[in-house]
Amino acid sequence: MKRLALLSGIAIATAGLLAALAPAAEAQTPRRGGVVRMTAPYASSFGNLDPHRSGRSQDGQVHMTIHRTLYIWDSAKGAPALELATAATPSAGGTVWTFKLRDDAFFHNGRKMNADDVVWSFTRLMSPGEGFVGARWIRLVQGAVAVERGEAKEISGIKKLGEHEVEITFTQKVEPGFLFYNMTTSILPREEVEKPTWATAPVGLGPFKFKEHIPGSRLVAERFDRFYKPGLPYLDRVEFPIMAEASARDIAFRNREVDTSILGPVQYVAYNNDANLRKNILEVAEVFTRSMVMNHEVKPFDDKRVRQAINHAINTQIIVERLARNKAYRATSWLPITVPGYDKDMKPYEFNPAKARALLAEAGLPNGFEFEWTTSQNESWGLPIVEAVIPMLAQVGIRVKTKVVEVAVLTDIALKGEFQAYIGSSQTGPDPLQTLRCYHSSTPRTSCNVTQYKNADYDKMLDEAGTTDDPARKLELLKRANAHLFDAAPVWFFNYNKATLAFQPWVHGLQANPTELVHQYPEFIWVDASSPAK
Amino acid sequence: MKLRANLAIGGGLTLLSLFVGVFGPWLAHTDPIMDANLMNAELPPSGEFWFGTDQQGRDIFSRVMYGAQISLTVGIGSQLINTAIGTTLGVTAGYWGGWWDDFVNGLTNLMLAIPSLIFALAIMAILGPGLTSLMIALGLTNWSYTCRISRAQALAIKSQGYVQAARVLGYGDMRIMFTQILPNTLGPIIVIATLGMGGSILAEAALSFLGLGVRPPSPSWGSMLSDARETITTAPWLSLFPGLAIFLTVLGLNLLGDGLRDVLDPQSRSRR
Amino acid sequence: MLGFVIRRVLQMVPMLAAIALLIFVLFSVIPGSFATGQQDEGLGLDMAVVARMRAELGLDDPLHVRFGAYVKQLATLDLGVSFRSRQPVADMIAARLWPSLKLTIAAMGFAIVIGLPLGFVAALRPGSLVDLGLMVIAVSGLSLPKFWLGILLMYLFALTLGWFPSFGYGQGGLWHLTLPALALGVSPMALLARTTRAAVLDIMNADFVRTARSKGMNEYRVVVWHVLRNALVLVLTTIGLQFGSLLGQGVVVEKLFAWPGVGSLLVDSVFQRDIPAVQGCILVITMFFLVINTSVDIAYKLIDPRIRYT
Repeated sequence: MKRLALLSGIAIATAGLLAALAPAAEAQTPRRGGVVRMTAPYASSFGNLDPHRSGRSQDGQVHMTIHRTLYIWDSAKGAPALELATAATPSAGGTVWTFKLRDDAFFHNGRKMNADDVVWSFTRLMSPGEGFVGARWIRLVQGAVAVERGEAKEISGIKKLGEHEVEITFTQKVEPGFLFYNMTTSILPREEVEKPTWATAPVGLGPFKFKEHIPGSRLVAERFDRFYKPGLPYLDRVEFPIMAEASARDIAFRNREVDTSILGPVQYVAYNNDANLRKNILEVAEVFTRSMVMNHEVKPFDDKRVRQAINHAINTQIIVERLARNKAYRATSWLPITVPGYDKDMKPYEFNPAKARALLAEAGLPNGFEFEWTTSQNESWGLPIVEAVIPMLAQVGIRVKTKVVEVAVLTDIALKGEFQAYIGSSQTGPDPLQTLRCYHSSTPRTSCNVTQYKNADYDKMLDEAGTTDDPARKLELLKRANAHLFDAAPVWFFNYNKATLAFQPWVHGLQANPTELVHQYPEFIWVDASSPAK
Repeated sequence: MKLRANLAIGGGLTLLSLFVGVFGPWLAHTDPIMDANLMNAELPPSGEFWFGTDQQGRDIFSRVMYGAQISLTVGIGSQLINTAIGTTLGVTAGYWGGWWDDFVNGLTNLMLAIPSLIFALAIMAILGPGLTSLMIALGLTNWSYTCRISRAQALAIKSQGYVQAARVLGYGDMRIMFTQILPNTLGPIIVIATLGMGGSILAEAALSFLGLGVRPPSPSWGSMLSDARETITTAPWLSLFPGLAIFLTVLGLNLLGDGLRDVLDPQSRSRR
Repeated sequence: MLGFVIRRVLQMVPMLAAIALLIFVLFSVIPGSFATGQQDEGLGLDMAVVARMRAELGLDDPLHVRFGAYVKQLATLDLGVSFRSRQPVADMIAARLWPSLKLTIAAMGFAIVIGLPLGFVAALRPGSLVDLGLMVIAVSGLSLPKFWLGILLMYLFALTLGWFPSFGYGQGGLWHLTLPALALGVSPMALLARTTRAAVLDIMNADFVRTARSKGMNEYRVVVWHVLRNALVLVLTTIGLQFGSLLGQGVVVEKLFAWPGVGSLLVDSVFQRDIPAVQGCILVITMFFLVINTSVDIAYKLIDPRIRYT
């Protein structure tokens, strides 16, 4: 039964987590006190301190410090773990779940959390017209969409059973951990959200309470003494210096002005070449797949042979080695390494220009063709990659016109289908079923199926995987679906991101979170006495 | 007699960049785009790769040679647009006066008030990154000085005897503006355009840094420098050579502009 | 005099209105939209929700309706609400204004303290090697891309020498301010040195200086009393123009040094299509320019009442 993992009590979950985190913390006893300075690397400001409003990774760093959700992501186990909920019991074939809630969780304003907070928070997420990004995780709850459309005031599928117990009915069989570990589903205190200060001074259930925010410069949070996990957090203070510029971040890290720094491919190599810096790099296979997405409504991308030819024509291995500098794992198909269904024995497309040419000829394009390739300037999944691929495709007669756009425009173009091909990064986990649904023919372009790939056999496999009660059968189906995608090659499979975080030697307890490495549950982090930060 | 060293040095450097800009493709050993060889990534300068190679294994020397073309095109193109807009508005405003003059004056003040980098950033965000957008963005945002000066010249000249005489002789407005007024404004305008070219090349680099510059396949110095900024501690040659190319070219243009001002526009040294 | 001041201040109003119109038009045609940019990959948004959100934010109204609303808002001195943070834009900018001003003032201070003497000394021996050397140094400052200069400064003064922190705002003190101010101040410094040199040369050749000299006034007094004073008046315009535009020029330096100013807010907002914040930032930056330059005009009027403005 897969609910076993989820049923474990909070004490076990906490103990398990701590034990799992121990390797990173070596054999020392965690020290209480001190400060950690974790850089916010993705933008030059925090966009929104309301966790329901922002799904941006950078804002998530702060949200998981100040707020909490029903589940958290257990990086050691690679699965969601109970957090605000102490037990989750399914019934009716996995469509109805009963959650027991903590009775020892306090908001930073001193009030105890209860079932009403869960009901209110989830209802808020579905407020019509607000467009809360967290709404996507609640939409599977029965009656949620009606609230979102303004047809109802209350979500019919959420019922308060007691002071610390709620029952949630879903429209289909789900594993709620995959939905409710997302920080955008944080449980918030209504009385604080309704205050005018909410946008600037958040109040939550997390291990640290908000202290100071200098927009564009840093955010500081300090220890919350009534946090529900005994003995945690260790640190007195967490600071998030905002540093979007990688070259500046590099200098600041080397100068020991910050404690963590996410590394790009260039710096990954440089740090690995440095005898001291090399020792403190946390690596994780993230659940992001980078690919060139082809629009199957545009000729000749509707032809499988053409798409396969592209996969054969590109020397993906050398790009991963030399340009991504091994700060990535070569992709075989759509599912990344840490996600169930990934097949480690699968061989990627072989680099074989002759075969590519043959496939093109078979598809009636012996002289190749020309297409427009839209790209952003991202160093890992943007222009530099396109630049390296252009000469390779030219070898088999495929001519590329590049169109460079900003990331904000790229998303727009993808959602509207106004592209021939574009290169991008897609989140491909942690839930394999949801990830593979991306190519289900019922999935609209706007909720992932940007290629508009449609195949009845594939649909059947996924539908069965979604309803079966047999975990082995499900895994088998996921594997087959993933293998199907390999052959259909809806995209050029490029790589799965390897996220790398450099940290100072005095930092301990960092978690190798594959969903996003900068997302650290800060209560587990501690610093030893050699930390220079006061 | 004053030492015209700035003119000599500036002129020399500018000629050198122009030479590279025109003959860059012949000076380069390799194709700057198609000759990516990832096996040669980030090699330091050597006999084979004079300036080393970049992250993609491309010869930096060749790219700097090709880049001259792009950077100078941006500089010259944007200044041509600026000069065309500035002189047209300025001369007609000064010559015709009236509501048109008021309008042009207002517009000039408006352009002066919005920092040109920010205006260019907005235009680049609308048009999307690229060479043409860049020339347009930088060409639309820097014409106010040209406009002011040509207007002042037009005002000063239009009341002079020979212009009056031309009018009496029945010369049309256009002819008077083109044959009598425009030539007289040329000196200061050349100076502004020369200095402005340097400004455009730097603005291109700044926009590249902000993520909105000229974008390959054409390598521009600004985008090369911007791309190389992360390797400044580990592979400094990646940024050194495009950086030096920008520095020397802009330095040359600035010195040349100063020198030209002394020669062409001696009475107005302190105008700016 | 008071009438002049009032007139100059009132002249700023139509100018600001025109700028408001211009940026409104520019940013109503910008590609990309805020609604799709909220999630890192943008996917997984229900298009129906996006549509409702657009309606809620007023993005679907016809252009003239939106402009009407925008003008009405501005007329009540309201800059609107940020799409991103849902805070009043005025509050967001207010938080950024003081750091930006501090950086601008420090950079300008550096430019004046170094640039003026540099230009002055160069002008005393025009055409000499000293002149050439000083001018090449000054113009070099004008010829380096700012972000490169900034990285080099960080590398040298923070990483190698350890004199200053490489980034950030700290407690807002001078220690954190120095490097960004240097990076931002170098180009106005160069312009100022160049203008000062030219102004001093002009005045040295002016009749009244020749007269003073021929009357046997000692050289030191000539230089300090007549030349310096008069040159400063000429240089004031350049100082005003540079100072006024420095807030906008700070964009690159602020981004590089993670300095929490208006410029970095602007760039971030442009990339995330937070249009109200973008418009607010540009309005504030241009207003700063107009205020500084109006003040310079008024200062001129005070120094030299003969100056007439039409």
